Amino acid sequence: MARIGRLRRISEEDTDLNMVPIMNLFMVLIPFLLMSASFMHIKAINTSIPVHSASALNEEETVPEAKVTVILSLYDNRIELSTLCETLPPEALTRFKTTVKKTQEAKATEKALMAALRKIKMEYPASDTMLLVPDAPILYDEIIQTMDVARNMEEEALFPNVVLAGSLG
Amino acid sequence: MALGERKRKKAKFTPPKLMLTSMMDMFTIILIFLLFSFSSDPESMKTMKDLELPVSSTQVDYADSIKIVLSSEDLKLNGDTLASLEKEKIIGVDPENLKDSSLFRKLKKLYDEQAASEESDKKERHVLFMCDKHHSFKTINTVIKTAGLAGFPNFQFAVLEGRSE
Repeated sequence: MARIGRLRRISEEDTDLNMVPIMNLFMVLIPFLLMSASFMHIKAINTSIPVHSASALNEEETVPEAKVTVILSLYDNRIELSTLCETLPPEALTRFKTTVKKTQEAKATEKALMAALRKIKMEYPASDTMLLVPDAPILYDEIIQTMDVARNMEEEALFPNVVLAGSLG
Repeated sequence: MALGERKRKKAKFTPPKLMLTSMMDMFTIILIFLLFSFSSDPESMKTMKDLELPVSSTQVDYADSIKIVLSSEDLKLNGDTLASLEKEKIIGVDPENLKDSSLFRKLKKLYDEQAASEESDKKERHVLFMCDKHHSFKTINTVIKTAGLAGFPNFQFAVLEGRSE
């Protein structure tokens, strides 16, 4: 009886797992992963610069739905909007000419710009191209923020194709 | 005798056991978090001190391509320093004569090499442009115009992921 009790005690004895090798592994893995971890993810904005192309104009002519190209001129104190279309008369486009005054509050300027862009998009939903013409002293950061506004409005795409061009003169 | 007996009765010293379970839990959590944030993108790891990228809401991933870096100090093409910057001016790149710059010559060489190797993929060619957010458009325009002249009109502007304020 006593022997049975002793056997049971031996089999029920706690067995300790040797955690030291696992800990060693963790100690090696963690510094390695910490060094190669990236907490800032880099993304990209696709853009282009204007190129001379004769074939592109011919392609535009065959498109049944009118497409306008938004020209957004970025200045120090204002944003000027106008539109360009080969197939529409100039009178149809003059109403889209707008100037958005830049205010201290960037959000207010963004909202006004978004409203103006949305108006164009509602009239010509097939339009997807915007020509961004920043003035020489405009900072790159501001160009990117303007591209962000022009590209999307909430989840809706506005003008995803942004062409960056320098002003003449 | 009595002393000897007392000595024999003294409990044997056993080293205290370390409680590793809680530490293991912590390490497991850290390991999982780090494994998720591990990135194989080479650019994510090599952000430079003199390069502050703008923040954007874009979700497009960049493709591996020709890389132009315009930091606050210098201009680099695929890791090689081509010119330095002084008061927003790229030394050695004349905005009036862009074709007479080392940037144009090197890009043209790359264009010719690519054109010789892959005929069908001409339209897919683009440049990954990493630029400091404090540069003016005047400076940027010099670089992108040069790239355009060399045959690279399509760009990918590198930005940091996040909601812009």
